[in-house]
Amino acid sequence: MSVCEVKNLRKEYPSFTLDDASFNLEAGTITGFIGRNGAGKTTTIKSMLGYVHPTAGDISYFGMPFAGNENIIKQRIGYSTGMVNYYPKHKLREIAGVTKRFFDSWDDESYRRYLKTFELNEEKTPSELSDGMKVKFNLLLALSHRAELLILDEPTSGLDPFSRDELTDLFVYLKNQGVAVFFSTHVTSDIEKCADRILYIRHGKIVLGDTAEGFRAKLGQPGETLEETMLRLEKEARNQ
Amino acid sequence: MKNMLYKELKLAAAGISYFFLASALFTMIPGYPILMSGGFLTLGLFYSFQSMREKHDIEYSLLLPVSKADIVKGKYAFVLLLEGIGFVLCAILTVVRMTFLKASPVYLENALMGANLVYLGELLLIFGLFNAIFVRGFFKTGYYIGKPFLCYGIPLLLLIGLAEAAHHIPGLGLLNAFGTDEIEIQLIALACGVLLFVLLTFVGIRQSVKSFEKVDL
Repeated sequence: MSVCEVKNLRKEYPSFTLDDASFNLEAGTITGFIGRNGAGKTTTIKSMLGYVHPTAGDISYFGMPFAGNENIIKQRIGYSTGMVNYYPKHKLREIAGVTKRFFDSWDDESYRRYLKTFELNEEKTPSELSDGMKVKFNLLLALSHRAELLILDEPTSGLDPFSRDELTDLFVYLKNQGVAVFFSTHVTSDIEKCADRILYIRHGKIVLGDTAEGFRAKLGQPGETLEETMLRLEKEARNQ
Repeated sequence: MKNMLYKELKLAAAGISYFFLASALFTMIPGYPILMSGGFLTLGLFYSFQSMREKHDIEYSLLLPVSKADIVKGKYAFVLLLEGIGFVLCAILTVVRMTFLKASPVYLENALMGANLVYLGELLLIFGLFNAIFVRGFFKTGYYIGKPFLCYGIPLLLLIGLAEAAHHIPGLGLLNAFGTDEIEIQLIALACGVLLFVLLTFVGIRQSVKSFEKVDL
């Protein structure tokens, strides 16, 4: 079942254009959105959520167009820009206490459970958390309102290998619960570890969106890791 | 909107904004340009916008199931709440000056503006200017606060200067009426203040929603 459909998304900046991006996100799948820094990952995500205004294109979630249904849709999705940098001196308990008021489907039981799973201390403030714990707190807020789709912009950036490993394990767990996870990254090993589908963007254009196997079959060479494939493709593009 | 206001009060606002409500006490200072109370009350609100930016409040708000228009309206709800409290405090003190302290020599021998309904009308005009210039200016970017505050500060000081000078102009002395003297004029001035406040705030909210909608965050 498609939970998000992006059609011909275009965003023009004076020095960059996100050009005609189209893709689908399915329930119970992990989609890794890969591309080098400045390729257009964040612009795509922000356009999907209306934080920047697309020049053209259609975005729909759960069969509803985003325009006009923003608040209903946001009740069903979770978005994270990676690390928490808001309200650095407020206790996590206070932030969660305010957040829960906005979500109809907020589940205190899930909140407590994930709090324990993520080993987060509610009495701490974001400024007292490590980078990995900040990402987890953002995820905790998203998961506590039973988000059906998680859109995560560079959630693993800046994390140590252990924290990244924990996070990708969590993505797999959520996928098995039926949640769709869409995360951008430039860390190929995170994609290799958990993604069912890969969406590759270069210079604002989607080069390919396919299953992980399909991606390797179409763009990879025998014996190549995903990182080697990406490096080769980027070098080829630069030399052209 | 209730939740947005709760978020403003609980997380976004700067504590010092509440402290600045005490500026209403300026209403009681003899020989002082008492309209500065409006300037200080809005300065207190300015600190909340500064705090909100430091706390990345807009970034957090984007995670919530609210539209950009809701974010703007939430901020205005907070501003209007504090302006409302500030106004009520000033109004209570003005009534005290207009009744119990009407004949007090320290106020009778005051060369500067006295506290009456004209003062309250002008106070509302200050709040209206803040809402239409500063808050609206902030939402042009959702980030910068310096230029909008400067743009608001200039008419604020001009207004205070003009209000202080007006009652010295022959024929306009009645603007500085004591107690309930010239009550009709006082009521008209207050009504004008209410009208301008409503108008400026309405325009401010409308324009802020439009501007913020266009901002790429």
